[in-house]
Amino acid sequence: MSSPVIDISALHKTYSSGIRRRRVEALRGVDLVVSPGEVLGILGPNGAGKTTLLKVLLGIVRPTSGEARLFGQPAGDPSARQRLGYLPENHRFPTYLTARQTLDIYGRLAGLPDADRRVRIPSLLEQVGLVSWEDTRVGKFSKGMMQRLGLAQALMNTPEIVVLDEPTDGVDPVGRRDIRDRLRSLKRAGTTVVINSHLLSEIELVCDRVLIMNKGRIIRSGTVDEVARQGTGWRVEVDQLPEAFDPTALQARLEESGRTLVVDSGQPATLNALIDALRTSGVQILGVERHRASLEAGFIDLITSGEESGEESSREEAP
Amino acid sequence: MSRSPGMTTLSGSLLLTFRELWAMRLTQAMLAVATLAWLLLSFAMNMDVVEGSLTALRIFGFESTPTEGHWDEAAGEYVSQAVSLDNFLIGINTFVFGAAYFLGTLLGLFATMPLVNGFLEQGRVDLLLSKPLSRSRLLFGHLTGVWITVFLLATYLVGGVWLTLSLKTGVWMPHFLVAIPIITLMFAVMYSVILTISIGSRSPGLGLVVTYGLIFFSIILASHEQLVPVLSGTSAALFMTIYHILPNFAEVVLVQTQLVEEAAVISWYPLVSSLLFGFVTYGIGFFWFSRRDF
Repeated sequence: MSSPVIDISALHKTYSSGIRRRRVEALRGVDLVVSPGEVLGILGPNGAGKTTLLKVLLGIVRPTSGEARLFGQPAGDPSARQRLGYLPENHRFPTYLTARQTLDIYGRLAGLPDADRRVRIPSLLEQVGLVSWEDTRVGKFSKGMMQRLGLAQALMNTPEIVVLDEPTDGVDPVGRRDIRDRLRSLKRAGTTVVINSHLLSEIELVCDRVLIMNKGRIIRSGTVDEVARQGTGWRVEVDQLPEAFDPTALQARLEESGRTLVVDSGQPATLNALIDALRTSGVQILGVERHRASLEAGFIDLITSGEESGEESSREEAP
Repeated sequence: MSRSPGMTTLSGSLLLTFRELWAMRLTQAMLAVATLAWLLLSFAMNMDVVEGSLTALRIFGFESTPTEGHWDEAAGEYVSQAVSLDNFLIGINTFVFGAAYFLGTLLGLFATMPLVNGFLEQGRVDLLLSKPLSRSRLLFGHLTGVWITVFLLATYLVGGVWLTLSLKTGVWMPHFLVAIPIITLMFAVMYSVILTISIGSRSPGLGLVVTYGLIFFSIILASHEQLVPVLSGTSAALFMTIYHILPNFAEVVLVQTQLVEEAAVISWYPLVSSLLFGFVTYGIGFFWFSRRDF
């Protein structure tokens, strides 16, 4: 197995703020390994620790304890960032620079030689659809154009890993599709991508693996299907249930209508056991329907149920 | 010849600072003020120099012979004598350079506050920190850009005034140019305060207030020879401790004047202690910048 691009173990970050030094635990024992070429989506409610995790990885925030490595080097080591591109959430480019000047300056800051910048700048402006705006000051750009310029900036040094924090924030549907296409082409090129986004549909369409964070912990990790399946089950419609029938003993619950039983478990054996019990009790089964939750439903279920299966912080390996 | 990646990143940091200063119209405003100053001098002053001595001086069309004098006790009258051209030039330069020192620094610090704010702004600083250059290198690039700009502006103003007067009078006094490094160095010392406090508190406004406070307090510190004898023992000791710790911004102008006059400098201490203060403050600023979360 090739060496991981990201290797994080037992990472803790506690912020102290205010006169009373109020402590906020942003990360509470995060373990994560990301392999080369993987496209990882990080989900979680506000304050889950997603951005802090990315910032620790980039050396923008220092961990309280634990270890984060990028290309085998400690996070924060400038040489590791040579192979990285980053688009922060709510990034601000100097408004007086044109798109071309912005890419030139951030390309310089990335250590890109003059000759490379001369080639990369027009190419990236073309790719993100800003060629006709190359000499326009970014102060006149819309939010969507700023995001596209931000993406171009993150790709200036042809990075091996791209870290994107809310890349489609404020972008219209067409712009989102363009960014998605760009991410897919990065994936085809073997670039590792880490995306932090609130738009679950975006993650669903692009990522190989999804990681859900809540309260500073990783509470679920897996493919989109695996995470979405957490909300998958069956709905069994029946004629009438006898008084003595107890669905809870069969891992099912009765909806308020009194005629629909819901099996939350994704296991077929559980459904079969319920059907057997219903038939034995002489209950007429009117229909069985499988419901597959979207990633969004799975995510909401996980967060609202307060599931803390990740509390033990099991090591999240790339599949 | 291609640059090393380290030089390329540093050039990016420098270029960003230069462009920011240019975009803030700060550089243009300072250039305009400097140009106005030496154009005013150039047009306002008209001199006739005969065999190297001053015979007449006309400023804004009024002809006069500048004089200085003393009260003659024996004669019981005020005896005047012609001012030498050298002294006249020294007077003009001392005034211009003193104004540039105080006003230039105060205005410059005020104008650069948004620069510090922009540098440390969320969404910009994290983007800068994600680049493959160390935090100290990033901060050094920013500072170098500011220092170079101030040096060039001081050179333009002081050099322009010096050149104008020298061409007008035919008297070349290169030691006047010592004002350039002094203005630049003392600006750098005061900028260390605004930068370091901004890093520590995330409030460039607070940094500016403290910096201005130090400048005005330095006027009081400059009177230490008059104040200390009238203070009690403890107060005098406290006053002198503060005098030694804080930058002696106001007192340095005396060093500058003595250098411009080509007189012996009575004490280098105000300049040296101010530079030490700046050095330590930058050290704290670099340490904070390298340690803090953004």
